[in-house]
Amino acid sequence: MIAATQLRLVLVTPETTLVDAPATSIVAPMFDGQLGILPGRTPAVGRLGTGELRFQGEGGEQRYFIDGGFLQIKGSVVTVLTHEARPVSSIDLGAAEQALQQANGLVARTDEEAASKLHAQQRARRMIALRRGR
Amino acid sequence: MAKARALVKRRKAVRNIRKITRTMELIATARFKKAMDRATQAAAYTRKINEIVADLAKANLSFSHPLLQKPAEEKNVTLLVLTSNRGLCGGYNGGILRAARARLRELEAEGKHVTLEVSGKRGQAFFKFEGTPISQAYSQFEDKPGFDEVNAIASRYVGDFLAGRLHRLDVAYQKFQSAARQGPAVETLLPIGDLASGAGETSSGRPIDYEFLPTAQEILDEIVPAAFKARFFKVFLDAAVGEQIARRVAMKAATENADEMIRDISMKYNRARQTQITSELAEIIGGAAALE
Repeated sequence: MIAATQLRLVLVTPETTLVDAPATSIVAPMFDGQLGILPGRTPAVGRLGTGELRFQGEGGEQRYFIDGGFLQIKGSVVTVLTHEARPVSSIDLGAAEQALQQANGLVARTDEEAASKLHAQQRARRMIALRRGR
Repeated sequence: MAKARALVKRRKAVRNIRKITRTMELIATARFKKAMDRATQAAAYTRKINEIVADLAKANLSFSHPLLQKPAEEKNVTLLVLTSNRGLCGGYNGGILRAARARLRELEAEGKHVTLEVSGKRGQAFFKFEGTPISQAYSQFEDKPGFDEVNAIASRYVGDFLAGRLHRLDVAYQKFQSAARQGPAVETLLPIGDLASGAGETSSGRPIDYEFLPTAQEILDEIVPAAFKARFFKVFLDAAVGEQIARRVAMKAATENADEMIRDISMKYNRARQTQITSELAEIIGGAAALE
């Protein structure tokens, strides 16, 4: 069998399919850290975290900010299901900073509130870090 | 004379109304196409979720998630009714409200504690007239419901359901079957009855041996709410598409009706005019004959 050399990345949000393009390598933000995917990887289903999805496509490297969801690797097709995805270049820095301040100002009384506060903080921080180029 | 004038005026009024209904028909057609595109694009997400669920099912997992299970007692029921903000869309709102009211009566007869939530000004006006209290009213959903807005509502339901404050969620909306076929429907979205429904097409071929990151059970815990949210969002998209189709059909009928009326009035007007000319001629001839 000839080793696979190409991947196909499909990035789907509930509203639309954002990306459906060939890629040579993909780095996805998992719940516990980054996961690099090269052609020929074993099939997998994983939980995504908040952060940067980057892949080497035809037009060089492309970067997206994604927030939660699932990753499915099946053959050469990598499907990323997430409820929020946007190109890193379109992140509004001011809005992200405002979101961070708002998140910092939240008062968490229960475990759920604490979790949502932490998530909001992380989301805003990652967005700012990505936009500033770390 | 008076009759011909009145007919001209009437015909002009009908023509103006026809212009409006025709424009509305065209707008509804354009919006329908956009809404339809959104719905088809959104279908990709639901399909993928279903595919993963089907794959998980093959991994010999016990499908147990609080959102899938029927609570021991079923007392607090929320009925969400999706109607349109604007009228002039034929029987769209009427059909949904009829179905919703029937379900409301049924639930109340069973002694359940029903919370009514209504989206769309038409539905709000209806229940206000009926004297049924509405606990939550939304009017921000037009022909392009955004996932963020819908997600906020869905998250609240999930939270309430998990906390045991909500035992069942029913949604009354216009179900989209095909471009030529929609109808009002009341569906129970929570608890999720059968998660794997509609996931059958992926079962062909030999099962793929997936690696689960971190574990299949944890993925399941996460994917069940996601599946619910995708379904919930689809309901809103269906409603948006249904509204535009209903409006287009209603406005098309109205335009055709106006055409017919214009024809009718034109004919009457021509007859009246002819009668008038004839009688004027008769008068002139009569006058001339009297002079001779």
